[in-house]
Amino acid sequence: MGYVPVKGGTEAIDASIKRLKYERLKGNETIEIQTIMSTMRGMIDQVMSESSLYSPFLAALAIKQAEGSMEEAVFLMRAHRSTLPRPYYSKTVEPETMLVERRISASFKDIPGGQLLGATYDYTHRLLDFDLINESSESIQRWLQNYQTELQQVDAFDEVKYFPKVVDYLRDEGLFENHQEDNTVPKDITKQSLQFPSTRSERLQVMTRGQTGAVTSLGYASLRGYGQVHPTVGEVRVGAVPIYVGHPNEMEQNTEDEFYIGEITVTEVESFVPTQVKNANNEYELQFEIGYGICYGQNETKAIAMSILDQCLEHPESNFPTHDEEFVLLHIDSVESTGFISHLKLPHYVTFQSKLDSVRQVKKEVQEVEN
Amino acid sequence: MKRRRRTEILIQENGQLAKKLSATIIDAYECKEILEPQYGLTMIKMRESAKKSLFYIGEVLITEAKVEISNCIGIGIVVGVEDELAKQLAIIDAAYKAELPETITWRDQLIEAEKQNTKERAKKQAELFKTKVSFETMEV
Repeated sequence: MGYVPVKGGTEAIDASIKRLKYERLKGNETIEIQTIMSTMRGMIDQVMSESSLYSPFLAALAIKQAEGSMEEAVFLMRAHRSTLPRPYYSKTVEPETMLVERRISASFKDIPGGQLLGATYDYTHRLLDFDLINESSESIQRWLQNYQTELQQVDAFDEVKYFPKVVDYLRDEGLFENHQEDNTVPKDITKQSLQFPSTRSERLQVMTRGQTGAVTSLGYASLRGYGQVHPTVGEVRVGAVPIYVGHPNEMEQNTEDEFYIGEITVTEVESFVPTQVKNANNEYELQFEIGYGICYGQNETKAIAMSILDQCLEHPESNFPTHDEEFVLLHIDSVESTGFISHLKLPHYVTFQSKLDSVRQVKKEVQEVEN
Repeated sequence: MKRRRRTEILIQENGQLAKKLSATIIDAYECKEILEPQYGLTMIKMRESAKKSLFYIGEVLITEAKVEISNCIGIGIVVGVEDELAKQLAIIDAAYKAELPETITWRDQLIEAEKQNTKERAKKQAELFKTKVSFETMEV
């Protein structure tokens, strides 16, 4: 049997796309982009993080267009990103410049500057709030007014406070290795495809844009026994970091002549991981290493999981799959994994016919032998 | 005032000052639009705190505009979809590059706005401190 190339379906595809629009509109309701930006903070943060494109506005648009499908929204953002020019690279963002909104440590009760809970679901009862069904503009206004009145009683600080890193105190005590600043130009996986063994900059870039579920699952797998990293979270921070860029044409690049272009919100985590190292006397002693995690927006679970995987990948000598950079880095990207899985539903008529032909041929041969 | 400081003030302010300052230049000089506000990306380079190495966290959407005044090109760059603000920042940047006399009088306004920005941020931070944990050690 020969293969038969076919074409067609154009009209059906047009009708299907129309049907898709109908599904989005049939309830005769619409949601404003501003409403999504104001009320879907967690979803926007996740879409921005997984698409590696920081823009709450575009993320909200993608969420609306994708009817809330995360993988579709991330795909839309990645596709849009590829249409835009990239005229600038930022100056190095130093973690200490973060204007902290939330900062906690699971390692120390008393951290310099204190533990700031900020806004978190951590201490809420996970019970559905049926009052939200009838939430009205008036009730929102009333609540906001009361809260603002409460906040008016708070005296402003004299100046903005910037928090030191918890780990820096431990470094000062000599409990952690104090690394010198490494200014090696990072590799960019959007310009050059990933090669193994990868560099640290490539690993961090792949993980920070990894799919939240995938990064979390692999981090969890490492903790459960498919890895050798059992950390204590040293510090989780959520806050805004300022972004600066240099002038594109001026020959003399002076810090004072840079452009401030705005800020982005990120979640940053340092996990402390005990490891055994050999000392000068060839004896094993306990030491701590740091696993690093960061992502756009407030997504603490992903950042913590990333810090576990970062530490795993720093120790490729372990045989566990979570220490295998190819296993981790090639399977956590949203567009790559959802794209490959979902391509399976696209027509494979030719390849499947070929498989059927093989099976038919084998069966025919067996039958002939039996006869 | 140098660019880093003034762009920080103008962007952190609610945009009213950029609008006001650029308006004085538009009224008095020919402002030629070299690049109308367009969207692009800036790749963000970060230093991680574990080994203090550099990596790219991802891109951020920016709006960029370029304006020429008295043969000097000014650039306005701002995070987000901000067509008007990008153009206003470009006009202000060009005004400083061309050393227009108006820029001398802007200093006091910028410093006042900077104080206000800092005050608002410090107030917002103080409000967040209501969520600061006060641990009490329990007797067992």
